[in-house]
Amino acid sequence: MNLERLVHIDRRIIYLLIALGTTIPLLLPIGLPVSSTPPVERLFDKIEGLGQQEVVLVSFDYGPTTAPENNPMAQATLRHCFTRGVKVVVVALFPIGGVTMAGEILEGVAGEYPDLEYGVDYAFLGYKDGAQAAMKQMMGNAFAEVFPQDFFGTDTNQLPLMRRVVNHEQIALVVSFSTNIIGEWWANLVNAQYGTPVAVGTTAVSAPKYYAFLDSGQMLGLLGGLKGASEYEQLLIDAHPELMTIYQQAGIYTAMKGMDAQTVDHAIIMLFIIFGNTVYFLVQRRDARRKQHQA
Amino acid sequence: MFWKLRLPLLLTLFVGAVPIVTFFLTEHTPVIGPAVPFVRDRVESYMVIIAGFALLLGVVSVVQGSIRKIERRRPGWPFAISLLTGLLVMGAFGILSAMRVGPFQGLLTAPDGSDTPFYWMTRNMFNPLQAAMFSLLAFYIASAAFRAFRVRNVEATILLAAAFVVMLGRTPLGEYVFSWLPGGERWLPQVTDWIMAVPNAAAQRGIIIGAALGAASLSLRVILGIERSYLGVKE
Repeated sequence: MNLERLVHIDRRIIYLLIALGTTIPLLLPIGLPVSSTPPVERLFDKIEGLGQQEVVLVSFDYGPTTAPENNPMAQATLRHCFTRGVKVVVVALFPIGGVTMAGEILEGVAGEYPDLEYGVDYAFLGYKDGAQAAMKQMMGNAFAEVFPQDFFGTDTNQLPLMRRVVNHEQIALVVSFSTNIIGEWWANLVNAQYGTPVAVGTTAVSAPKYYAFLDSGQMLGLLGGLKGASEYEQLLIDAHPELMTIYQQAGIYTAMKGMDAQTVDHAIIMLFIIFGNTVYFLVQRRDARRKQHQA
Repeated sequence: MFWKLRLPLLLTLFVGAVPIVTFFLTEHTPVIGPAVPFVRDRVESYMVIIAGFALLLGVVSVVQGSIRKIERRRPGWPFAISLLTGLLVMGAFGILSAMRVGPFQGLLTAPDGSDTPFYWMTRNMFNPLQAAMFSLLAFYIASAAFRAFRVRNVEATILLAAAFVVMLGRTPLGEYVFSWLPGGERWLPQVTDWIMAVPNAAAQRGIIIGAALGAASLSLRVILGIERSYLGVKE
């Protein structure tokens, strides 16, 4: 057996297997069960416990690059708020596509609830640059100072919802769907200075750093990557079975379907790691024997 | 000297000191109390505007760099043409849509319910291109994991074991591994949670505190005028 060839396996084989491991489960979902973890349950329980007049601020702090991970968590959280009748204020602080992501998701989810009234049940304030300065100003002073008009050009103060939402004092919870440092700023700036509960939904790559904020109490909950999003979807379906019809629709992308692909891909990566180490040991043993023979 | 050095330094001192000082003061502070919210709110409002200029600075820098690259026919210069074209077309469509000029009525949906030209380009060109770039990461991670995760020494073995547990524990597969034992389906997810919440959080906390101290010391150097390289002053 030529061990050198196995050690230097053509990376295109790995790429092909990963491509198959991603596409096949997405086209033919396996439907693996998902169980929840405490950081996700805490956010779910918080929204589940909010009253109908309470307001959740949802910040879209990601762009299309991480949409497959962030979109399902944003959709599930908005669905949860709208199902419970909780009021929602949406902003976007990510410069590269954040506002279009927010508009797209909000329009889609709000469209599932025909009784919702724009300006009364939810408001979309649009994008503002300078995330840290913007969040400090809107939470500390007034939303209307940072967003004098909403996304559609209406004066913010003309929206019935925004007439009673002045600043952090009227916000029961901030949920940031984040791909970079903006989620961290919600925790270390807004929670630290105003005490507003903050939860972050982020990519699996970014999730590890947020555990420090979770542990310190600066964050209420965390949705880490596709796994966190799928846990939230499962909790939502368990608590509100009427939403099952939305999640069972053919052609709709959900985190639970995405988890099938992620599970297969993780299995492929782990098998390659085992294979790589086995070959590595065989090469080491062969080289050691050769040295013994030469000696 | 005054306009190029002293005035920017004084402005930096003032703008940098206001958020720090006003954080510790309230409107009930003797003598200067009434001025505190006024000054703080004004400076914070200006920060939002200044942040917008940072974006503009980035655009100017990209345009200048790309034009230089094309002029000097540096390697990859055709990509610079593509970059500039994308920047100008998307930028123009975005600005016209935001200002609602002519057929560009809104960023997402036109009054008649159709997609605006900007949103059409966003959905069909910008979003797929961005997603494609990021999705390449999955392939590189898989390839890198195969090559890098080797049991070479104790540290590498610990890292590999932790990675294995987390990779398994973050998928439903982790629940199956020990599901044949009573309560075994929660073992790996619980170990994964422990790894993330204890050793990982401890390491992340150290990194965050270190970075925050570095940022605070650099900020102080800038506010006090010790660090002047941002003004083009060579030490």
